[in-house]
Amino acid sequence: MKTINIPKLKEIVGENNVKDNPADLFIYGSDASVHRAMPWVVVRPENVEQVQGLMKFADEEQIPVITRGSGSGMCGQTVPSQGGITLDMKGMNRILEINPPDVYCRVEPGVVDDDLNLALKPYGVFYPPTPASSRTATIGGEIGNNASGVRSVKYGATRDSLLGMKVVLPGGKLITLGTRTRVEATGYQIHKLIVGSEGTLGVVVEATLKFVPIPKFRCLGMANFDRLEDAGHAIADIMAGGIVPSMLELVDNVAIKAVNKTMNLGLPDVEAVLLYEADGMVKEAVDYEIDTMKNMCAKHNGTGLQSSYDAKERAKIFMGRKKLFPALSKFSELHASTSLADDMAVPYSKMAEMARKIHDVAKRNNIIMTAYGHCGSGCMHTKILMETSHQDQWESARKAVTEIYEYVRSVNGTTSAEHGIGLSKAAAFKAEKADSLELMRAIKKAFDPNNILNPGKLMDAPDDWVTATDLRYIVES
Amino acid sequence: MQKRKFELNHLLKWRNTLDKCIRCGYCYEHCPVFKHTRWETDAPRAKLIMLYGLLSCQLEPSKYMADKIFSCFNCQQCISACSSGVPLTEIFTDARADFVNTEFDTTGTTSVTGSGCGNCLTCVRACPHDARYFKDGHIVTDSIMCQSCGICTSLCPNQSVSSTHTYGTDRVYLNRLITDFLQKQEAKVIVFGCNWSYYPDLQSSSYETESSSYIPIYEKPDPEYKILITMCGGRLTMPLLLDPFLENGWGVLVACCPEGECENDGNLTSAKRVKKLKPILTSLDIDPDRLELVNIAHGDKAGFQKAIDNFMDKIKTLGPLVDERSMNQQIRNTKYSTD
Ligand SMILES: Cc1cc2nc3c(=O)[nH]c(=O)nc-3n(C[C@H](O)[C@H](O)[C@H](O)COP(=O)(O)OP(=O)(O)OC[C@H]3O[C@@H](n4cnc5c(N)ncnc54)[C@H](O)[C@@H]3O)c2cc1C
Ligand code: SF4
Ligand code: SF4
Ligand code: SF4
Repeated sequence: MKTINIPKLKEIVGENNVKDNPADLFIYGSDASVHRAMPWVVVRPENVEQVQGLMKFADEEQIPVITRGSGSGMCGQTVPSQGGITLDMKGMNRILEINPPDVYCRVEPGVVDDDLNLALKPYGVFYPPTPASSRTATIGGEIGNNASGVRSVKYGATRDSLLGMKVVLPGGKLITLGTRTRVEATGYQIHKLIVGSEGTLGVVVEATLKFVPIPKFRCLGMANFDRLEDAGHAIADIMAGGIVPSMLELVDNVAIKAVNKTMNLGLPDVEAVLLYEADGMVKEAVDYEIDTMKNMCAKHNGTGLQSSYDAKERAKIFMGRKKLFPALSKFSELHASTSLADDMAVPYSKMAEMARKIHDVAKRNNIIMTAYGHCGSGCMHTKILMETSHQDQWESARKAVTEIYEYVRSVNGTTSAEHGIGLSKAAAFKAEKADSLELMRAIKKAFDPNNILNPGKLMDAPDDWVTATDLRYIVES
Repeated sequence: MQKRKFELNHLLKWRNTLDKCIRCGYCYEHCPVFKHTRWETDAPRAKLIMLYGLLSCQLEPSKYMADKIFSCFNCQQCISACSSGVPLTEIFTDARADFVNTEFDTTGTTSVTGSGCGNCLTCVRACPHDARYFKDGHIVTDSIMCQSCGICTSLCPNQSVSSTHTYGTDRVYLNRLITDFLQKQEAKVIVFGCNWSYYPDLQSSSYETESSSYIPIYEKPDPEYKILITMCGGRLTMPLLLDPFLENGWGVLVACCPEGECENDGNLTSAKRVKKLKPILTSLDIDPDRLELVNIAHGDKAGFQKAIDNFMDKIKTLGPLVDERSMNQQIRNTKYSTD
């Protein structure tokens, strides 16, 4: 560990914006992943000048800087595997401008997604990428991970909603990227490159985002399938069926069982449930899309078809999906729900096979895995339920993760749909992008010659995620 | 008193449960302590991570850590927000039990009795959680039982009960906000709401003072009234309720939970105070209608807004306070001119 000039840091960001008590460092050493490693110090800048000062200091001293929003990333993106300064951006949380005529807003990176949407609501518009973690995720973190969510099938991911940004580079230089216009063909679109770069290229200090009108009508439907394959066919047909759902979610039977066991919601004990939603300004158009999706489900033996426009009814239909996480956590006393092989994307035609594969892999490796996800975007999520204190369970998890991503690659899928790479998906990412890694490293070097920004992540992360850092669980050998 | 050695007696049983926390952070934004400091290290998740550090022997116990564990208003917002059903406050209570009477024992947001205590036992009788008792000639707080509701701090006739950390709920802090607001030209009314009856979180959630543009536009403060959120209505002392009048506020509205819905019976305490203050207002030449208490059910934002609108209408009919209190004002002016 390098000695850090704490008084200098306090000079830059103020006495009250620096923390170095071991307890604080321990807390900032975690995110929603399985990893754990402590930063050397935590600083919380309040404005752009302070970020510039910090980046100049860190670059001169060659100290790693890990930019952090809410630390809800699931792959260790904000775990300081090489120590350094954790840059907590929650101190920069102002909504700077909402501009309805020009259809954009400007925000600081620490603004929480839900807060932004509350502020936009009176204007009849919303910011759509919204991940499931929107109540805590910051715009900066969503940019870092290129977050997306249940409605991204229709409205796109963070990258699609971002018009421009201001970024501080190592050394402290502030640059303005992108525009405030809807389209741009002015050279390299560097701001789009920053999206999904997981804090390795620069510190975003302001983002210009576009928004869309809140639809007048929203209708949510549900279908049950006795066979996973049927649900898979329905997904592929819906997505090729000439309509654009605003949501298309898959929940598998492991999740259904968990919800039923712990919540008593009485979901039908089937292999898969599909939730489908359409939205729009004209009811007839929404009706048409919902009917189309219902028919597709029926064609593939979907049963229990129901749908509703009513907000309360919709909440009821969505309850099973919503209660997934607590259900998995409560599934058994001994098992914890870990974020591993947490997300991937495969072509629509492979969704069902992917889910089946996940179940097979889990069974073979003596762990429990559930498959669910925003299948309208081709996105599949899993959780691994395992006895985290048992060393052999980690061996199993390691094998399972490898097998799953081998399959993903074999069907031309991608390692991450929305959660990013961080530490825990590095091996699969490197295998998938083998021929562009050198280019990525060259880009990283152009932005960050001294490699201070989130070093040892993405293409530079170790292949073995189990030993990349300490695990955040107590593992008995 | 002999200090005992720090041991993880109570926490041990939560070992598996701590693994259940998926670290999603859903509990953050609801925690008034986090809202106030905006440091992740004060969020409920952070408390769990820290306790995990203790259990796994990766952190040495310290007063600093104990202070975090004892700093909690027991509002349970984190539990209702938790994505994984973690019983956070139960875990915190057990953690407190491990810290109590060790060299790391501390007070956090729990109540502390100062030297001015006259042993009148008012606070002991009033504590809704049986957390105050008389022992060896002193009144002490059982800091495991204490829920930091603040009733005792607001009741003590000698103002001898306080807490080390208040996170924006103390009179000095609130008074500063009241004074700042009422200096503005259009400002008329202070509305006190508890963290339950109306739940926009503590006013300090905007992190900065009024100069920060963070306060999202939807909550853009009405220039004529300001909502101040305390944790529990029972915390509102009589002097605090009078503070706005001293700053020429036109009126004060207090919103509490409906009867039977406050765990601390803070709504009853608050109602009693408002009732007692009315004749005092009359004696000060202030129309007692300028102080009103309304009961608002948890999360009833619309009801709350309606109550505010009605009150504002009434207050505008009554007009500014200055006319009514011209005498007081004169006294003040005289004082200033002779200075
Ligand atoms: C329960 C749960 C559900 C989730 N659901 C979804 C989902 O539906 N969709 C989805 O996409 N994700 C999801 N996630 C993952 C995660 O919440 C999101 O990716 C989110 O956008 C991360 O935001 P954050 O503020 O927590 O960022 P952090 O985790 O703090 O950071 C994420 C990355 O962004 C970088 N970063 C942060 N701020 C800046 C900045 N100002 N400048 C440059 N880089 C920065 C960090 O270095 C890091 O690499 C979920 C997570 C959990 C725990
Ligand atoms: S119970 Fe305590 S930790 Fe939980 S939200 Fe309330 S104050 Fe925060
Ligand atoms: S909401 Fe629950 S699971 Fe999520 S971080 Fe808080 S305690 Fe952990
Ligand atoms: S009245 Fe409230 S703050 Fe005082 S000791 Fe009892 S529980 Fe604690």
